[in-house]
Amino acid sequence: MNDILQQSARDPFWFRDCFLMRMPIGRRASNLRELLQILREVSEDVLYYHIFQSRLALTDPEIEYPNDFALWAANALQDTKLAEKLSSFDPFEYGNMTDVREAVLEILEEYLWDLPYVPWARPGFELYLCQAQTAVIQSPTPAYTLAEFCQGLQRAGLDSIYYHFFEAPWRLGVSKVDDFSFWIEYNFDLPKLVKDIRQIDVYFYSLPELRATLLAMLNEHMGVYCERTE
Amino acid sequence: MNGLNDYIPIVGQDVIDQLHRLAARLTKRRFVHINSTRTGGGVAEILSRAVPLLNQLGLETNWEVIIGDPEFFEITKAMHNGLQGDRVRFTPRMMEHYREINRENAKRFTWEADFVLVHDPQPAALIEDLRDRAAKWVWRCHIDASRPQRHVWKFLRDYVTRYDASVFSMSSFAQNLPHPQYLIHPSIDPLSDKNRDLTPTEVQAVLDRLGIRRDRPLILQVSRFDSFKDPMGVIQAFKMVRRHTPCQLLLVGGEATDDPEGPEIFARVKEAAADDPDITILLLPPDSHYEVNALQRAADVIVQKSVREGFGLTVTEAMWKGKPVIGGAVGGIVLQVRDYHTGFLVHSPEGCAFRIRYLLHRPEIARRMGKLAKEFVRRHFLITRHIRDYLTLMLFIDNPGSRFIEL
Repeated sequence: MNDILQQSARDPFWFRDCFLMRMPIGRRASNLRELLQILREVSEDVLYYHIFQSRLALTDPEIEYPNDFALWAANALQDTKLAEKLSSFDPFEYGNMTDVREAVLEILEEYLWDLPYVPWARPGFELYLCQAQTAVIQSPTPAYTLAEFCQGLQRAGLDSIYYHFFEAPWRLGVSKVDDFSFWIEYNFDLPKLVKDIRQIDVYFYSLPELRATLLAMLNEHMGVYCERTE
Repeated sequence: MNGLNDYIPIVGQDVIDQLHRLAARLTKRRFVHINSTRTGGGVAEILSRAVPLLNQLGLETNWEVIIGDPEFFEITKAMHNGLQGDRVRFTPRMMEHYREINRENAKRFTWEADFVLVHDPQPAALIEDLRDRAAKWVWRCHIDASRPQRHVWKFLRDYVTRYDASVFSMSSFAQNLPHPQYLIHPSIDPLSDKNRDLTPTEVQAVLDRLGIRRDRPLILQVSRFDSFKDPMGVIQAFKMVRRHTPCQLLLVGGEATDDPEGPEIFARVKEAAADDPDITILLLPPDSHYEVNALQRAADVIVQKSVREGFGLTVTEAMWKGKPVIGGAVGGIVLQVRDYHTGFLVHSPEGCAFRIRYLLHRPEIARRMGKLAKEFVRRHFLITRHIRDYLTLMLFIDNPGSRFIEL
């Protein structure tokens, strides 16, 4: 096992920090019909923010609903049925944000269609829509070996975990593939580890949970090198 | 003064390393903050901490303060209240005096900078005379300007539109403006007197000094005595709880000098508490940070039953002490108190009473919520995140129009 820990990769892994600045777009939804209308009109960046990026900006301490729309349905509209529907849709199953938007609109339209009333947010719980700008900074030292990779992972910030898990499928153009398993697959003969990482249900984990899960997985495969000390 | 490394045990080495990596992209840039006071108020408090930290990170950061006569500050107070939605008198003569004081300050300033961050309305008009002194100007609005009085906003907007960007504390405060608007939440400093760790002995000493006994559960609200913080609603809730559970209520704060209803509210609170041995009112001087810290740590349940709120930093402070907060479902409280996770959001004195009883009877759940609350603040509302936002903001101001930049 030590051999593979020290084996040099063909290409090194560069951890990247990911910094978001949220930008309110000046529109708010007080009820479900308004949300539907707004989501038809705004840019895909707005959907991308509320489905993926918001977990980096401001996440609940315990992930119950995996995107802002489901969370809003549960907390603001107090409509658990809708929250369940919005939570169960998996944005990673779609190839682009146009299709993701269509999927969200379909859920909302279908739900409203059968409803004899329009669900309203309780006062103070209106949804203010945002988008975000992203800056990505490459870490100063690359990881050539799995040992270095583990050390880098222990030092990586939560935004780095977000970037390599949540942004990767869109960047790589492959559904449910993250940067970590992609690099390991390309450079090392560790199919079980690659498979295990890809089976992590990332959408339902908080970022600290994701980091801990990944470290535990590496630890299991490679021993003591991947223990994080908080 | 605390250095960046003093924050490592609190936020982790990774967070501080990131600040250094971000700052490395901005090294030697000149950064100027301008506000209207060096002491007192949340803006001065955060700047007094943030400016030295930004300098430690290698940005040449200066903090400038505008000078004005009492009339100027009366005018800017009216502007402040008008932006918050109060009906205020704002005459052409007041506008002219506001411009005049800004012009005088502009003549006095000698700085040149890459970025200027102008805080709140008081110095906003400086851009008229000093536009060429800095490459980029950003207006930082700390006020809840979600429903401003039209005539005040119309006047201020003329200046704000000349800026390269503006920054608001909450999405709901954003305005219709022709430049990029960003969101930066306020923060607290975990090493300040108001928030640093205290030993049980230190906490007890403050309680002894203030005559607070811990013989029954302590419910606390820290806030000014004004109508928006609803102290009468808190008393009402407390009396409902006490019918079932022995406990005491502590209302801590200062008098509201700028709320016309303040004195009347305070008189009613005093009257309601006068013959009640279980209610204590403490009027503390504005700099009693250490005492407030100790009281928050001593409390069993902390309440912030506001009916209107900007961000609500008292909630952040309470959560940082590992306390579950019962808050009114308004403004930034909704953002911080995640219902059933870090506390409870309530809409009435009855709801407040119900949740106080719930937490008093379930100390284990209260502890768990408090723990989550502290972690939530650690990640999102500490000064290190604020510094990170400032640095990231400058990166984007430097690269206008880019949705994504790789450095």
